[in-house]
Amino acid sequence: MKLVGIVGSNADVSYNRKLLQFIKKHYKSLFELELIEIKDVPLFNQSDDQTNSEVIQRIHRKILSADGVIIATPEHNHTIPAGLKSLLEWLSFNIHSLENKPVMIVGASYFDQGSSRAQLHLRQILDAPGVNAIVMPGNEFLLGKVKEAFDEYGNLKDKGTVEFLRECLEKFVRFVNVVAVLEGPKKEPAPPEDLYATGKIDTTVEGVDMNADDWLEQAAEAVGAVEGNTYVKLNRGLLTVDQINYFLASMPMELTYADNNNQFIYYNHTLPAEEMLASRTPGQVGNPLAICHPDAALKNVEWVIQQLRSGETDAVRVHVPTHGPDKYVVHTYQAMHDNDGNYAGINEYVVDLKPHIDWYLQQTGQKLVGAGDTVTSTDNGAEKADAVSGASIKG
Amino acid sequence: MKKLLAIVGTNSDQSTNRQLLQFIQRHFSKQADIEIQEIRDIPLFNKPEDRKLPEIVETIANKIEAADGVIISTPEYDHAVPASLINALNWLSYGIYPFVDKPVMITGASYGTLGSSRAQLHLRQILDAPELKARIMPSSEFLLSYSLQAFDEENHLKDQTQVEKLEGLFEDFLAFVEMVNQLTEVHEFNKREAANFSWE
Repeated sequence: MKLVGIVGSNADVSYNRKLLQFIKKHYKSLFELELIEIKDVPLFNQSDDQTNSEVIQRIHRKILSADGVIIATPEHNHTIPAGLKSLLEWLSFNIHSLENKPVMIVGASYFDQGSSRAQLHLRQILDAPGVNAIVMPGNEFLLGKVKEAFDEYGNLKDKGTVEFLRECLEKFVRFVNVVAVLEGPKKEPAPPEDLYATGKIDTTVEGVDMNADDWLEQAAEAVGAVEGNTYVKLNRGLLTVDQINYFLASMPMELTYADNNNQFIYYNHTLPAEEMLASRTPGQVGNPLAICHPDAALKNVEWVIQQLRSGETDAVRVHVPTHGPDKYVVHTYQAMHDNDGNYAGINEYVVDLKPHIDWYLQQTGQKLVGAGDTVTSTDNGAEKADAVSGASIKG
Repeated sequence: MKKLLAIVGTNSDQSTNRQLLQFIQRHFSKQADIEIQEIRDIPLFNKPEDRKLPEIVETIANKIEAADGVIISTPEYDHAVPASLINALNWLSYGIYPFVDKPVMITGASYGTLGSSRAQLHLRQILDAPELKARIMPSSEFLLSYSLQAFDEENHLKDQTQVEKLEGLFEDFLAFVEMVNQLTEVHEFNKREAANFSWE
């Protein structure tokens, strides 16, 4: 079972972080826990929608792909801290990351009550229609007097507390399963992806080192690949290999082919890596996907492939904001299928949408209107910020 | 004339809570000198170890200290007070205690039916925390529902019953301010308790 733990404090020193770290370490036989920090989450402002910022999107994706969420909240002013509330507002404004997600609340504080009031508020917030999480009832875990609670290794000292926490967490694991039943039949969890491409499909070229810089040359020789002015019959047309290359090189996007054995076997090479929107080097062709991605990204790579292979979706789209405000670069991972509908791999195409949008606006004389422009659009039945149902926009 | 500070409980550019406070400011200009206070420029609270407060927080704290009473108008986000208002209150009780024993009236406006009722209840609990410890006017809910349709072109509240209720509440609030000024016995203790609150 995969859970994420949200550290409800943005402070450098936080006992709620410590508590989650202890849970992650000490109860790892129950579940895998990934911690989420809220330090970089901007203060929510409905007039300045930052739903698409990298930090919100990253947290959104992590929550979506988790089976359940544990939130550890401190208590400030008898309620949850502004930073945590801010995150929940972002996650319920234009996206609804926590919808139907099983959530468990824990909290640590310096005083005896251990964030009891904040936890009650948090329950009510998570129950609001825009958030719509499914909070585990009962099993309140309040850790009071935190300063004395941990030993030097970050372990909870009191045996009774450790045991009680285990009981709460075991119940939460069962609760996650109960919610899954409540939500109706779900597909079996997708099997893990073989990102090192150790398997073999009909088109895998054997006997050539996938990591070799000249994999292409070796593999082409091994299979006797055609090139140049040899004709290839296509659906539907007749082109030479040269013509196919001209054609693909002129596509206004960066194209990458990863086959269904998770091997990177093609990209339309027209630019040096440093000039590409998503850099690729000629030597990478042939690599298993695990080799041409940083380790930290492998979880996401796997998740994307699982979505596509399982048919959960045919396309996963991600905006990559690191190119600055003059570009709007979108990576689309499009599932490919053979004639019988079997998954055949991924067509990843990377496009800067900005020039297209600019051109469209210029041609039609239209202007973009920000989603934060609330008053003018409320006639559409949208429930906006002041609305009773919360920070979510509907409709 | 009494001096009141009216805090807009959101950082949004468009807010019917701001509109409501502007109406209150104009409508009661003969009874009280009301200044409207925005919170949108307050940075995100992160418990800085050096306890240094942003300048804007110091400014607002001084205005609260100087005021005879405070009105806070809150929207409702996710059944609760908006993060931006929580944020302001976090700062305004971090090593400073301008709210201790300060008379406060809560109002709220919302686009829907319930007029921020849940957020107002939370706000009462929040303001009652030892490090804030305001004197909240009891039994005085003012909920403005369907707030987008509530004002005419001159920004007057259209519903006369609502105006009457507000007039009654405002009179009461001025009396409440007087009364709280006489409740001085526990003030020093409350100040001490607020200062003892540990944010560590």
